[in-house]
Amino acid sequence: MHLITGFLGSGKTTLLNILGSLDTPTQGTVEVLKTKIHEIKQKEASRLRSEHIGFIFQTYNLLPVYNVYENVEFPLLLLKMDANKREKMVKDAIEWVGLTDKIKSRPNQLSGGQCQRVAIARAMVKKPDLVLADEPTANLDTENSHNILDTMLKLNRELKTSFIFSTHDPKVIGYLRRIIRLIDGEVQSDDLASGI
Amino acid sequence: MFKFLLKGVFRDRHRWLFPVLIVMFAVALLIFTFSFLEGYKGSYIRQTARFNTGHLKVVSRAYAEMLDLKPYDLALLDISEELQEYKQRYPQLDWVERINFGALLDVPDAEGETRVQGEVIGFAIDLFTDDTESKRLQLASALKSGKLPAAQREILLSAIAAEKLEIQVGDTITLIGSTVFGAMSMQNFLVSGTVEFGILSLDQGAVVADLNDIRMMLDMEDSAGEILAFFKSGEYERREATRIANDFNARYSDPEDEFSPQMLRLSDQGNIGYILTMLDYSVLWMSIGFILVLGIVLWNAGLLNSIRRYGEFGVRLAIGESKRRVYWSLLTEAIIVGHRGRIPGESSWARPSVCISITSAWI
Repeated sequence: MHLITGFLGSGKTTLLNILGSLDTPTQGTVEVLKTKIHEIKQKEASRLRSEHIGFIFQTYNLLPVYNVYENVEFPLLLLKMDANKREKMVKDAIEWVGLTDKIKSRPNQLSGGQCQRVAIARAMVKKPDLVLADEPTANLDTENSHNILDTMLKLNRELKTSFIFSTHDPKVIGYLRRIIRLIDGEVQSDDLASGI
Repeated sequence: MFKFLLKGVFRDRHRWLFPVLIVMFAVALLIFTFSFLEGYKGSYIRQTARFNTGHLKVVSRAYAEMLDLKPYDLALLDISEELQEYKQRYPQLDWVERINFGALLDVPDAEGETRVQGEVIGFAIDLFTDDTESKRLQLASALKSGKLPAAQREILLSAIAAEKLEIQVGDTITLIGSTVFGAMSMQNFLVSGTVEFGILSLDQGAVVADLNDIRMMLDMEDSAGEILAFFKSGEYERREATRIANDFNARYSDPEDEFSPQMLRLSDQGNIGYILTMLDYSVLWMSIGFILVLGIVLWNAGLLNSIRRYGEFGVRLAIGESKRRVYWSLLTEAIIVGHRGRIPGESSWARPSVCISITSAWI
């Protein structure tokens, strides 16, 4: 689990967007999962994101008209997966984040912490190689933040998925192995952290 | 994925309510307007055909040139053989002979002197061979007083003319006209009843008489001013009418002979063709206008909705959905919403058959 941190406007989110192939760099080269992001075409970028990268956002960004199951199912629909296999994967992902009893609930029936768990399940359901999390704990209280981070750590260990966080939340730091500090778009430091 | 989209569309009221209402209203309005105009057109054609033009009409070429004047002195002569041939060649049509004429109606007093006179237009139709023509002109329902003619030399008189000229059912009147050869002719008739067709030009002063009586009066033995043909289906079939008219004229009409027969379609007579074309264009332009306005309204609604769903699209793109697929899903949603509005719009009170019936009844 890695952290990109820095002050507001330091370029954390921009870097995360480039890593997730949502943006392309104006100069230089970026390689993610053996894919050259600076050369990638839109269609390939979509495929990279749908197959290998998961996203977790500060404001959860769940699809409000769909329930927990359907929100988690959505990334698998893009992969055109067999329905039985899909159902099992969705249920597994919901179980990982401990929301099996909320499977039919809509986002407006869930707490902030629960919504972020759904977002994690959605990001993890396809078992991606990389998860990019932009300020995942910014809207959560301390207890929920730790719960979420514990969940992510568990998935990081069990599924061997890399997590990259963009945040300046000090609670996150204890969970990480590497911390990259940005200032005005440039790397100020790149340190190994003690982690949990 | 389609099921997934469907759930999204139906669960999110913001996505479908306004567009569905707009589409439903517009479809209902469009169908109503279209049906109203179609109903109006149908009624106009039926009314015009049965009183005046037929679906097709055969007249002499000279008569055709002065069609509006209905000059019975340019009538078709010795027509019985030809008429039999027409009936055999075009069995899909019902053929009837008619004479339209103008006359002076003279009402005598007790001493036999003229009490009052008035101009009338006359319809000579076959009243007695069978009831086809009576039914076609709906004489029974047009009857205001008295009864339909049951014997030769009985006529029907328009109710307004009867009232104006103070003629009672059972009175004897004299029609004064001129024969086809230009000589003066007079004939007494018994007024068997008065009629009101709901057509001002007829109701102000028309008489309906039997064809044979008028033939005798106007010296038009085996002649008819016009031979009208009606499709047996009862509906004007524009393409078939054109085909038959072209065939008939190629076969029987001679441009060098002004007394040779010429077949005219309903739309060739007077300005009927122009009116029908205008009605068709009205429907077309109205439809285009509706669709344009509807398109603009829905376009704006779609834009507002897209702004509301901007975040959702961002997430979907981030999750890995391609832009093309997002566009495709929006198009699919639009089709779903469109159908959701169209179906109740179509099945609402604006059902075509109902509208056509209302229009027909009203007209």
